Amino acid sequence: MLKTMNQKISVFLILFAAGYLYLSYNLKKYPYVPVDSDLVPKVLGYLLIVLAIFLFFDKSSETEEEKEKRQVPKKEILVLLAVGGMIFFYIFLLEIIGFVLSSFLFIFGCSWFLGYRKLKTAILVAVLFPLIMYLSFNYLLQIRLPQGLLPF
Amino acid sequence: MGAMEGLMQGVQVAFSWQGILFVLIGVIAGTLIGMMPGLGPISAIAIMIPITYGMDPSVALVMMAGVYYGAVFGGSTSSILLNAPGISGTVASSFDGYPMAQRGEAGKALAIAAISSFVGGTVSVVLLMLFAPALSQVAVSFGPPQYFALMFLGLTAIASLSDGSTIKALITATIGFMAATIGIDTQTGTTRFTFGNPNLLEGIDFLVIALGLFALAEICFLILKRKDTSLGSQGDIGSLKLSKADFKEMRGPMTRQSFLGFILGVLPGAGATIASFIGYISEKRIAKKPKEFGKGSIKGLAAPETANNAATSGAFVPLLSLGIPGSGTTAVMLGAFLVLGIQPGPLLMADRPDVFWGIIASMYIGNIFLLVLNLPLIPYIAKILKIARPMLISLVAIFSLIGVYAISFSTFDLYLLLIFGVLGYLMRLFSFPAAPFILAFILGGMMEQSLRQSLTASNGDIMALISDPVSISLYIVSILSFVVPLIRNRKNNQHQQEEQNSDAS
Amino acid sequence: MKKLWMFSALVLVLFLTACGSSSETSGEGEDGEWQPDKNIEIVAPAGAGGGWDTTARSVGKVLEEENITEQNVGVVNKEGGGGSVGWSYVDSTNNPHNIFVSSPPLIFVPLNGQSNLSHEDFTPLANMIADYAAFAVAEDAKWENLNELFEDMKEDPSSVTVVGTSAPGSMDHMQFVAIAKEAGVDIQKIKYVSAQDGGGMTQILNGSADVYSTGMAETVEQVRAGKVRVLGITAEERVDGEVIGEFPTAKEQGIDATFVNWRGFFGPGDMTEGQVAYYEEKLKEVSDSEAFAEVRDNYGWDESYMDSEEYSEFLDQQREELGSLMEELGLNQ
Repeated sequence: MLKTMNQKISVFLILFAAGYLYLSYNLKKYPYVPVDSDLVPKVLGYLLIVLAIFLFFDKSSETEEEKEKRQVPKKEILVLLAVGGMIFFYIFLLEIIGFVLSSFLFIFGCSWFLGYRKLKTAILVAVLFPLIMYLSFNYLLQIRLPQGLLPF
Repeated sequence: MGAMEGLMQGVQVAFSWQGILFVLIGVIAGTLIGMMPGLGPISAIAIMIPITYGMDPSVALVMMAGVYYGAVFGGSTSSILLNAPGISGTVASSFDGYPMAQRGEAGKALAIAAISSFVGGTVSVVLLMLFAPALSQVAVSFGPPQYFALMFLGLTAIASLSDGSTIKALITATIGFMAATIGIDTQTGTTRFTFGNPNLLEGIDFLVIALGLFALAEICFLILKRKDTSLGSQGDIGSLKLSKADFKEMRGPMTRQSFLGFILGVLPGAGATIASFIGYISEKRIAKKPKEFGKGSIKGLAAPETANNAATSGAFVPLLSLGIPGSGTTAVMLGAFLVLGIQPGPLLMADRPDVFWGIIASMYIGNIFLLVLNLPLIPYIAKILKIARPMLISLVAIFSLIGVYAISFSTFDLYLLLIFGVLGYLMRLFSFPAAPFILAFILGGMMEQSLRQSLTASNGDIMALISDPVSISLYIVSILSFVVPLIRNRKNNQHQQEEQNSDAS
Repeated sequence: MKKLWMFSALVLVLFLTACGSSSETSGEGEDGEWQPDKNIEIVAPAGAGGGWDTTARSVGKVLEEENITEQNVGVVNKEGGGGSVGWSYVDSTNNPHNIFVSSPPLIFVPLNGQSNLSHEDFTPLANMIADYAAFAVAEDAKWENLNELFEDMKEDPSSVTVVGTSAPGSMDHMQFVAIAKEAGVDIQKIKYVSAQDGGGMTQILNGSADVYSTGMAETVEQVRAGKVRVLGITAEERVDGEVIGEFPTAKEQGIDATFVNWRGFFGPGDMTEGQVAYYEEKLKEVSDSEAFAEVRDNYGWDESYMDSEEYSEFLDQQREELGSLMEELGLNQ
């Protein structure tokens, strides 16, 4: 039944809208206003369902260019996931080991992983960029980035 | 009343050596801070406030104004070069600025941005000087029903923000609007869709969405194309020189958007972000070749850059002549005034003409400084693109992450950024445009609030929305702007049906 | 690239000077005295530029510049949830070097059910300033004083729209409710609209709303220009000041109610007596300093120092008063 990509997306959107509507109907009531906080969300929820139905029956086929964009080799997907994982790990470590150290690890690790092979430059950039950012944010601009393990 | 005399006093302040020196310091600091990830005019002003303690108020405020428009000026750099908008007012600049930089014309793109900013800034200062006192009435003329109509006008433009399927544009817009409903509803205090997470109580920050959908999604594509050197664009900065034809392209948007941006800036709550979007959309609407928009159109870059700078000067109207801050940024600016013992308000012009006119007069100098300082720097700044792809990708990622951290200081928002990055990537894979999402997110929140404010005040009478000439004419413009392109498209379609068929799917 | 190097060199120099000036001190002494052994961090549980941020930054600056503390004092913004994000940060880091600034929302937000932490989970250190609410109407409004306004509201509550910046159940709303209730208005029927970004003043100037519930300082310029009129303020007695001095209090109009927008400092839940004493002393010094007096004048704040004990009692009392009001409105969770 779900032949085209549009139809698959459409079903997903309808499910999403249904969940959103469910939450909208369960919003707390506030008795002192003529239009409560649930009106606009409900309108949006139904609107999305209607639009998704339109999308379901949208006959226009995709251009070759658009289809080609989705032809991502398996290996490349793994690369994307790995970078996503690195960002996740970066966020996780940020407030634990501090901005400078985690940024060093990320910049060095990520650019090495993506094929940057100039060791000296990589280390230099990975040290200097976070350090300059950190010092200028913390001391020039008085905006505190996480200090972490470093003594400053 | 001696407006002329006051103006002369202001000119004296602005052109004194301290005046000139501190405008210079202000715009340099503003531009540099504006270029930093996540730091826009709000942070720039807040950061500079302690420096002004003990300074002569008129000179200090001349400097603070320089910080303000300098930061708006500097904010476009990362939008154009990295597709990573540092502040909300420059998201629209990335629509055409980034494609232009990608095709090896980074220098030109930055030059166009600088010149349009200069023109927008300067024209609007002339307007500010001539009409600031008179416009104070305009600034308060919009009540909730009129704002609702204005936001409605903005939303009708959504269809025009995508080249592909209109349905898909409307779907992303609806989801963008839904994202705006997250958090405490200010009209009732009800918490909506937060799943008990305190980090969501104040809603999702605009920058999280913009950096996720634009910068992180772009990173994904850069990763896939990292070995692809055939593009030839890598590191090419291109010439800064603009040809006569380029200037001719820019002239129309720059003239129109200087005025439109200024007026939108005057209205409290509208501000640079909305001005830049409306500027972009309106130029696309009237352009002869709207298809070029989004692919590196000169007009498409000049319009938002002119409009956001013009709106910045416009925002000084309610601030200086009424003491009403129309945005988060001008609220902080108001704080800067108070620290220096100056209370802006209806009497400021009479009480402290040196401050009132000094700020305005100094904006001429400030804008010239910005242009003169920035143009020669462009080749150096644009060198960022020369960095090898793998390294550039890592740096842009960090840039976006600090950008978000510097405004919220919570890792929760960083995870959210990551989620929006994934969403942005998927949206692009399936050809759902991101711009309507952002636009609906900005306008939607304000639209809902003004709708419900109107209805509460009128005890639920829906007719209150269409009871005055301003809102009615805004609705008429909305309908026209929706219908006219449809008719024009149909005509075009008849001419080149085949080509359209393959593009419009 | 050259510029970048210059910039980083400058940063390094600044950094080195900053390091050189901070001296090492020990932690808790033998007699229960306490000295911070690293930089003090003041958390402003809001974004840059608001009332909390301004208070935090001005107090931080006085602490540092008048050499009241030996350590550097940094201000950290933890925005979100009407303050609850900042509070949970201080609560979870539980470090005596992290203190935060707060005001009545510390009472409202927990009562609204938007934060699990309340003032009882923290150690009140000292209150610094007091600010009061003002109720303003446009110059051409028909009401000359609060009583006329409240008479009309008693007759037909739906004829009057009150506008404020915060959401219902938070400050601008509750300060109006507190006074209106005392005057005998049916507080459940008050029509309240929330407007951000300077919208409140705009709405009374263009007639979209009738009464603006705000702080005193926000109204001064418009009053001076003859565009709006302040019907009443919520202070105990009139406040000194050129224009502010002419604002009548609700009390003198026969409405026996007040509302204080206090602002003070809090530390994490478990602090030693020495730590509390340290902050009390330092904040008292700030409060008494001329530099801070100037700050207060600039922003139109009243001096209102309370030490830790006094402050705790005051907060409990606030919680009770405001809690019962919110219960009546059904906003209590």
